[in-house]
Amino acid sequence: MDSFEREIVELLPRLRRFGRVLARVPADADDLVQATVERALARRGQWRLGTRLDSWMFRIMKNAWIDESRARSRSSRLFAPEEAGEAVGDAGAAAMEARLAAREVENAMAKLPQDQKVALALVLVEGLSYQEAADVLEIPAGTLTSRLVRGRAALLAELAEAAP
Amino acid sequence: MTADERLIAYVDEELSPQERAAFESQMACDPVLAAKVAAHRRLAARISGSYGGVLAEPVPPRLVAVASAANDSARRGPGPLPPLWAAMAACLVIGVLAGRASWPNQEPLVMRGGELVARGDLAKALSRQLASETGLVKIGLSFRARDGAYCRTFESPPERLAGLACRRDGRWVAQTATAWAPQAALNYRTAASATPPAVLAAVDATIAGEALDASAERAARDRGWKP
Repeated sequence: MDSFEREIVELLPRLRRFGRVLARVPADADDLVQATVERALARRGQWRLGTRLDSWMFRIMKNAWIDESRARSRSSRLFAPEEAGEAVGDAGAAAMEARLAAREVENAMAKLPQDQKVALALVLVEGLSYQEAADVLEIPAGTLTSRLVRGRAALLAELAEAAP
Repeated sequence: MTADERLIAYVDEELSPQERAAFESQMACDPVLAAKVAAHRRLAARISGSYGGVLAEPVPPRLVAVASAANDSARRGPGPLPPLWAAMAACLVIGVLAGRASWPNQEPLVMRGGELVARGDLAKALSRQLASETGLVKIGLSFRARDGAYCRTFESPPERLAGLACRRDGRWVAQTATAWAPQAALNYRTAASATPPAVLAAVDATIAGEALDASAERAARDRGWKP
């Protein structure tokens, strides 16, 4: 394994997290991560040393997801069953409660338009700066901020009822 | 910048020090704005917290395999067509994929010192199972590598993983492991196509002579795969 591959392996947990925001169903998210890693390895010549590998791979994943979404809507399988791949296990009450709270957020995120969801995932979940997120999405910074504003307003409204 | 944009930029720490100070003095005399900021902070924390659990989950071995060992054989580029033993694989890979759901929740390959080492049921199958026997893991070809070590191909439908592992220092070290779609193997009559090209290429690169026949395979197993 060379250093490029090792860095990708180290990024896998974060790629899986980003994938989970996009694809939601864990198995689909991991398929997306796999497609992303395969694309990244095939195009490793395009990655410039000294630039952020995570941003570069997030961009690849975003594009892979767009391709995948198009293919899926063509075959009209866009919505996988919500509970698919979910193992509840014998988690304690606190863990169960946290899981339910997380589920509410996932449901609210799933209702957002794709572009707002991805923008929020990069900034709020992955902690990228506005400039880095705009670079990943290949959009102007102003477009990114307006997506962040609209996405957050929708989430606040959606989650308001469920707030404690 | 609109008022809403400034508000979230403040929460996301994207304002310059001057903008930040101006925003904070505005917030000090505007309780409605302060409440909005608090609501946005809670939202941000809630969203990032909801996805935090993914980081603690074990990474599926097929993803590690794709990122590491799998492309070692892929990088060599297209090789010659699979030789004779590829046809043998079709004969040896006999197995019905039973008991899929009972696969224990344990990673079959772990990284140890830069190597992917088989463990758990995969390691057991590599050590004990003959190609003619069925199990959760399917064993394909067994053969000796050029350095004398015994190597075996495997397919693990529940893990969507296929690969080639060689016995070295008492461990099964994956020479290659690749993501593999079990659908291709559900019809076992077409098992030859189930062995991924990356694994076949790895066999091609490793094998010395011919693959073991059933009696040689059994004898090697009974000797504990010692060269």
